[in-house]
Amino acid sequence: MTPWLTLRIALRAIARNKTRSLLTALGIIVGIAAVIAVVSIGQGAQTMMMEQISSIGTNLIMVFPGSRNQGGVHGGTGSVQTLTAEDGEAIAHDLPHLIRAVSPIVRSGGQAIYQENNWSTQIQGVSVEFPDVRNWEVASGAFFSAADQRAGARVCVIGQTVVDNLFPGIDPVGKSLRIRNMPFRVLGVMARKGSNTMGHDQDDAILAPFTTVRRVLYSSVFNNVSMLLVSLHSLDDLPVAKEELSKLLRQRHKLAPHADDDFNLLDMTEISNTIGSVTKLMTILLTTVASISLLVGGIGIMNIMLVSVTERTREIGLRMAVGATPGTILLQFITEAMALSTVGGIIGVAAGIAGARAVGRLQQWPILISEASVIAAFLFSAAIGVFFGFYPALRASRLNPIDCLRYE
Amino acid sequence: MLITLQNLFKVYRMGDDTVNALDGVSLTIAAGEFVAIMGASGSGKSTLLNILGCLDTPTTGSYLLDGIEVSRMSRAQQARVRNRKLGFVFQNFNLLARTTALENVELPSLYGAGLPSRRRRARASELLERVGLGNRAGHSPAQLSGGQQQRVAIARALMNGPPVLLADEPTGNLDTRSSAEIMRLFTDLNREGITIVMVTHEEDIATYAARRIVMRDGRIAPTHERQETVS
Repeated sequence: MTPWLTLRIALRAIARNKTRSLLTALGIIVGIAAVIAVVSIGQGAQTMMMEQISSIGTNLIMVFPGSRNQGGVHGGTGSVQTLTAEDGEAIAHDLPHLIRAVSPIVRSGGQAIYQENNWSTQIQGVSVEFPDVRNWEVASGAFFSAADQRAGARVCVIGQTVVDNLFPGIDPVGKSLRIRNMPFRVLGVMARKGSNTMGHDQDDAILAPFTTVRRVLYSSVFNNVSMLLVSLHSLDDLPVAKEELSKLLRQRHKLAPHADDDFNLLDMTEISNTIGSVTKLMTILLTTVASISLLVGGIGIMNIMLVSVTERTREIGLRMAVGATPGTILLQFITEAMALSTVGGIIGVAAGIAGARAVGRLQQWPILISEASVIAAFLFSAAIGVFFGFYPALRASRLNPIDCLRYE
Repeated sequence: MLITLQNLFKVYRMGDDTVNALDGVSLTIAAGEFVAIMGASGSGKSTLLNILGCLDTPTTGSYLLDGIEVSRMSRAQQARVRNRKLGFVFQNFNLLARTTALENVELPSLYGAGLPSRRRRARASELLERVGLGNRAGHSPAQLSGGQQQRVAIARALMNGPPVLLADEPTGNLDTRSSAEIMRLFTDLNREGITIVMVTHEEDIATYAARRIVMRDGRIAPTHERQETVS
């Protein structure tokens, strides 16, 4: 008997009991759909993050204030504000051969109001160096000046998302928006940048001099900042630059030779590695859960195949009587189980892709359907059929034709 | 001789007792014979037919079919012998449900040497024509009468052109008229050269056969043999 003929007989047996076949395959459908959806979303997210990291520029180092060891008690990262704008200036001044530009960042949030429009957004206090550090251009108007920064002027530059929500159809340059009842003059609009690594919309931000943000919005007299953003001339300098930065900051912070750093240096490769390992972990975790569902689906197939063998005892007996060898019967039932699970796999792949697309559209998340995952899902579902179909098929092949023909 | 049985024993173990379903059966059937096997239930006639059909193996003894010893074959080898040399007709027809008459007839050829599907189809419809069901090829068993179903089963038994047809109570589930039709078909087939061995307990059905073998307690009863018809 040719494989093609065996397959046709198997498909016909499946089609004969459509509802039952569908319910049997459901476990496989759900399992495969889950795997495909999870992998597609996971890979999409990972690819997007990696792309954005390279778009931000990998030649960035972030300096965060770290925990200070106080009498043996560690605070969390950033628990003590130890980083100042002067640290940033010192870095730029002392390491010009390595560092291109430095901007301190002071973060705040708040509601911005223009006439009847209001918009909750992030307010970032940065320095005049910021466009240079981030490689981010001003689309219209101008960035604030060094004089604005020194004076702590109430001026700002806004992202495209803020423009869309606060100034629909209006040119914002020269207008005044209000943050916590304080007027800020809009000097310019930044070019569109898109979402960042964390899926956060970078255009949803108001940039103001860090001096202004710290004084006006934080009402702080201290000189500390949320972080320093340091850009390098070249990525090749990264290890040297981190070392030099560390040395300089330790010196400035007067740390004893054996004391822990009171700051953290993070570069983009580290971040991308972290993101990569986190998404990988999530993918593994969810794939494990989906695999359990596939296992359950496989057991379902085995169960229904055993029922099917019992139900079709007479058919088996007849086929044997007219010349089917035990091997042929074995192959036929394995093929049937495999066809059942493979059809389930195909439906599952389709459902998984549809599900991933739906999630992608809903969450504004890119999805990446890799051919490898589709082929793997397909082969895996076939393998499940063979594995779980083997025992029922073996039972069928060992039946005695005489008993089968008499079976009621 | 097409079929030669020599001193066949079939012993079943039932707890501590042993039962000899066949107790030393020797028998020869020549090509072209039409034999009826008769006997009370439990006489061993079904066991004999199963062994003749290579569906069962004797405990001891020899069975030569077409010159080949088939009693010690593996299950797979037996299946191949059944496929090529034997055609089966059952009391309850044993047609595949929800499968057309044509496909039912084709069935044995699926397990044989790879005949192309067009040739299989042609041969199957030819055989349906032969048993008088040429216009019922697309019908499923549920749409056919008992007599028609049995004729489909006979066409199926003939599909691979076997030299021997084994029938187990072929008219047991049929009315008198259908029974007569089936027996006429058997007679015609036998006249064309096919050897037929038929188990029956009905006296009037057995009369269609040229030779009668009666089983009693696992042995062939010496009486009622009508050897004169063997030629």
